[in-house]
Amino acid sequence: MRLGLSQRQAALIALALVVAIALPFAFDARGYTIRILCLGLLFAAMAQAWNIVGGLANQMSLGHAAFFGIGAYTSTLLLIHFGISPWLGLIASGVLGGVAAFAISLPTMRLRGHYFALATLAFGEVMRVIGNSWSELTGGPVGISVPFAKPSFAMFQFADTRTYYWLMLAAFIVVTAVFVAIKRSRTGYRLQAIKENADAAEVIGVDTTRTKIIAAIVSGALTACLGTFYAQFQYFFDPDTVFGVASVSIRVAMIAIVGGIGTAVGPLLGALFVIPLEEAANQVFSAQVAGLAQLVFGTLLIIVILVEPRGFIVLWQRLVARRKPGAPS
Amino acid sequence: MTAPLLEIEGVSKRFGGLSALSDVTAHVAQGEIVGLIGPNGAGKTTLFSTLVGLHRPNAGTIRLNGKNLVGLKPHKVAAAGMVKTFQNIALFLDSTVLDNVLIGGLMRHSVEDARDLARRCLDRVGIGAIADKFAHNLSFPERARVEVARALCTEPQILLLDEAMAALNPVEMDEFLKLLRDLRGEGLTLVVVEHHMRAIMSLCERIIVLNFGQVIATGTPREVSRDPDVVRAYLGRSAA
Repeated sequence: MRLGLSQRQAALIALALVVAIALPFAFDARGYTIRILCLGLLFAAMAQAWNIVGGLANQMSLGHAAFFGIGAYTSTLLLIHFGISPWLGLIASGVLGGVAAFAISLPTMRLRGHYFALATLAFGEVMRVIGNSWSELTGGPVGISVPFAKPSFAMFQFADTRTYYWLMLAAFIVVTAVFVAIKRSRTGYRLQAIKENADAAEVIGVDTTRTKIIAAIVSGALTACLGTFYAQFQYFFDPDTVFGVASVSIRVAMIAIVGGIGTAVGPLLGALFVIPLEEAANQVFSAQVAGLAQLVFGTLLIIVILVEPRGFIVLWQRLVARRKPGAPS
Repeated sequence: MTAPLLEIEGVSKRFGGLSALSDVTAHVAQGEIVGLIGPNGAGKTTLFSTLVGLHRPNAGTIRLNGKNLVGLKPHKVAAAGMVKTFQNIALFLDSTVLDNVLIGGLMRHSVEDARDLARRCLDRVGIGAIADKFAHNLSFPERARVEVARALCTEPQILLLDEAMAALNPVEMDEFLKLLRDLRGEGLTLVVVEHHMRAIMSLCERIIVLNFGQVIATGTPREVSRDPDVVRAYLGRSAA
């Protein structure tokens, strides 16, 4: 089979898909839970986009908020100033996100390890500062509102949160499909080789710089598109939210790492753990001592990383391996 | 006489104040097996790294089929037809043997075609049976052969082997030497860095001797082993 899935895997994916599509009917359409699920799926998609650079190329970007914010502002500004549908804005976001990723890749992709992480972190912060200070364009620190027309598909605006849920689900599936397609392509094999030994890969004909830049462009473009999804879902955002280190960059990297870096399922597992956990910690502890929610959240994450540094995916694989003795983990 | 396949002219490489290669000139003809020997630190690995573009020389030219390679990145040098193996064996340890080798084929082929080619290369070096093993599970002789297969999968004209036989016992070494002779018989040109004198003397019809980054002798194994400079610099009393 072209997809290289076993019948068992195909059945499992089909079942998961049916459950995922039907899930919103179990919750109040205007309720709180479904909004958390929407955010969970959005962040799963973002972590999957990050996974193309962070997982496949092993370049630990801590600057993906830059692309996310570019996407959120691009479609929103096009809508406010020119009345352009966010669906077209989505395309513009993707293009700008890809261009930004290309521009930042040229000087940073030769950096390895911590140096790459620091350079991308700085890039995200620069974008946040620009967002806050260029008030004529972005509205500055007070933030920006997406003008609400009457709900319509054409304008990417919906009254029913369930519709957003299905859109977020579709976004996650599309980004995951791109991730899997890249992983199995020539680029994917090359990225794997670069990750394991860049010099050896280069000597046997892998253009390491070009390959990493391709990965960065795809990842940046997808992340920017997801910024548009976020803007259309929240209707309001400010530079500190969409360009934030903790709110976006680190959270996205963390979700992929907690879930299982470099795997297609990892970002979903990570997002379904991290986003609800964060919300739960906020609900239970934020009324008590300031900062307690973050402390509890952070402590739980540290425990997870200590127990299984390779992420939830490994726990899952162990479970499968136990049921099928002798199967490779 | 036809132009040599590989022409190294006046190549120098300095690292800070250290002169690793100075004015190295050497030629390799199509179909030759050339040995490159010299004491530790003579510059053999540096020369290989410079030839494939991992280092940029401070002076000199490197031509393959008349095309200047200086300034090209290693993947362009590989595309031009020259690859090297690594002294300490640089496999992709978390990948299977087949995936290691097919990377070499991606330069000119699709994933599927590269996989077919990789299987043929593995069969060619006699390790088709271990294609699905993970590289970190391999023995040293197997690793050495995977490196060769991976290089062959780039379909090179000239292969630079940097101490590929370092971890082999005498029997394994003889098998490896036979493989290299067979490859040469199929038209591949080889340059071999090796510490085992017996191996290099029996394998190569021409030997280049480096010392302190300079070529001090070139000739047949008999000639260089009698060259007084070589004896003094490298071979020592036992071989003299």
